[in-house]
Amino acid sequence: MKWYIDSDRPIYKQLVEQIELRIISGVYAPGDKLESVREMAMDAGVNPNTMQKALAELERMELVFAQRTSGRFITEDLKVIEEAKKNLAVQEIGAFLEKMKKLGMGRNEILVLMEKIEEGEKDDDHIKH
Amino acid sequence: MTILSTKNLTKSYGKKTALANINMEIPRGRIIGLLGPNGSGKSTFIKLAAGLLVPTAGEITIDGDAPGVDTKAKVSYLSERTYLNDWMRVSEIIAFFEDFYTDFNRIKAENMLKDLNINPDDRLKTMSKGTKEKVQLILVMSRQAQLYLLDEPIGGVDPAARDYILNTIITNYKEEASVIISTHLIADIEQILDDIIFINQGELVLSSSVDEIRETRNQSVDGLFREVFKC
Amino acid sequence: MLGKLIKHETRATSRIFLPLYGALLILTIFTKLVMAIGAPDFFSEAASNNNNVAEIILGISFTLYFVLIVGICVMTLMMIIQRFYKNLFTDEGYLMFSLPVKTWELVLSKLLVGMIWSAVCTVMIFLTFFIFSLGTFSMIELSQTIRSAYSMFYLQTGMELNFFMVEMILFILVETVASILMIYVSIAIGQLFNQHRIVAAFGAYIVITIVMQIIMSIAMAVFAIGNLESMVLNGSEAMTTIQWLINGSTALNVVLGIGFYYVTHTIMKKRLNLE
Repeated sequence: MKWYIDSDRPIYKQLVEQIELRIISGVYAPGDKLESVREMAMDAGVNPNTMQKALAELERMELVFAQRTSGRFITEDLKVIEEAKKNLAVQEIGAFLEKMKKLGMGRNEILVLMEKIEEGEKDDDHIKH
Repeated sequence: MTILSTKNLTKSYGKKTALANINMEIPRGRIIGLLGPNGSGKSTFIKLAAGLLVPTAGEITIDGDAPGVDTKAKVSYLSERTYLNDWMRVSEIIAFFEDFYTDFNRIKAENMLKDLNINPDDRLKTMSKGTKEKVQLILVMSRQAQLYLLDEPIGGVDPAARDYILNTIITNYKEEASVIISTHLIADIEQILDDIIFINQGELVLSSSVDEIRETRNQSVDGLFREVFKC
Repeated sequence: MLGKLIKHETRATSRIFLPLYGALLILTIFTKLVMAIGAPDFFSEAASNNNNVAEIILGISFTLYFVLIVGICVMTLMMIIQRFYKNLFTDEGYLMFSLPVKTWELVLSKLLVGMIWSAVCTVMIFLTFFIFSLGTFSMIELSQTIRSAYSMFYLQTGMELNFFMVEMILFILVETVASILMIYVSIAIGQLFNQHRIVAAFGAYIVITIVMQIIMSIAMAVFAIGNLESMVLNGSEAMTTIQWLINGSTALNVVLGIGFYYVTHTIMKKRLNLE
């Protein structure tokens, strides 16, 4: 999986978001052991201190926990993950609605359009099969 | 703990002032970008820290000592010049470094040479400028130094080698050692930096952490640099 | 660290000199063989037994020998200049001055290795003479000649030849060190300039030479002029004057050498100005 660091926001925040997304989407399964800070930093091409900061933040969010001797693990508490997933969904929808508002789309318009697009995707699936 | 500290550090060449009243403290365990336009005094600063120049006024200390034999043993310096003897083979230069620097790790150097497809039996004079720069960087990064001074380490190499170099700096990271990288190619190295120091016309303009800049100013260091040093 | 510097300095210079001296030795032995086989009387007036072909070969090989000797002498001088200038004050200086070594160790390692090669040069020239003259004298005769030279010297001057030789060797050593250090100080002064450093170094060398000439003349005027007449008088007094000259020059060269070294060291330590 690739890491994306864009230019303007703090790098550690971007790392937190991307690791969070990986946990929610199951790339990192609950209870999985994370690589060492150094390896993760190298993989992402970022400074180890920054990666450290991101992981500390994830620990604070309880998505990751550290065991003194054996390293860092993804939380096994599915409720925490579920909570994070919901939070992220709420954020994304909020951002989406904000954009739609700028385009001048009303609530109903959006819903209709969404349904239409979803049906379109289903049709595409039929054709493919 | 501080690895490098300066007090009113000033260096002039004749009438021309290259650095004026620089005060800074660089802690251990950081990767620092020394950023500024050409001729801003970056190289002068690094040469002072490496002990190649003597301050005109003020002082600079490394691990508490003024630059000298003791500090040179702790500092691994990459100059912007290709300083290796042309007639030597890479293996001979490795032996040279091993002889003079007790912290030199031969195995590390040999592995890096292999990674970059450089034959240790090749002579320097048969190599391109870019390859020579890679050899120098390998030598410098193969030491277990406490302070790495890298003057324009990515200037002349191709993007693939640049990524390898940056990776090497990250992998090499140690809590007790700091790395100072002088460059004007900020966008390329921004991700691996903890802190940045902007200098311009010999003066310290700004010293901050990368995330602090991004957090408070909502822009990248590269963006800020372009704004500060707009022509 | 001084030992390591000397080791690497020797390695860097011997890759040029070893092949040259190897060639010199081979050429000498070859010439000697041709001479022994084809032209035993090459150097004597009566060149009757000589083979024409051998004479032509010898003509060529002696020319080569002469060129090689001159070449080696010039190379030795060039090496002394180049190792100090290029290795310390051009790009290579960035490496040398970031090594954990003292400045004096840098200077001393170059100086010692330069001295060694100068000595090797002299010894090798004598060695080739010795090879050429093998078979033309007997060891017994030689030792007799030397012994008689010793007693002659004592008779004429009232002084041991050995003692005089030690003074001469000391003089040559000190003279060599001082002249190498004079080259170093000129280079060090030259690098203070931001442009035309080599020209500046030559300029410095010329200025120092002129200043030294003046000092020498004054010293001569003060110390020696009164004794000049005695030179032509008798043996032992002439010898005293010569000793005066030699030991005086040695002392002067020691003072000059220390001065050159001090200035070189100070410039390298405080005013290093790498391009």
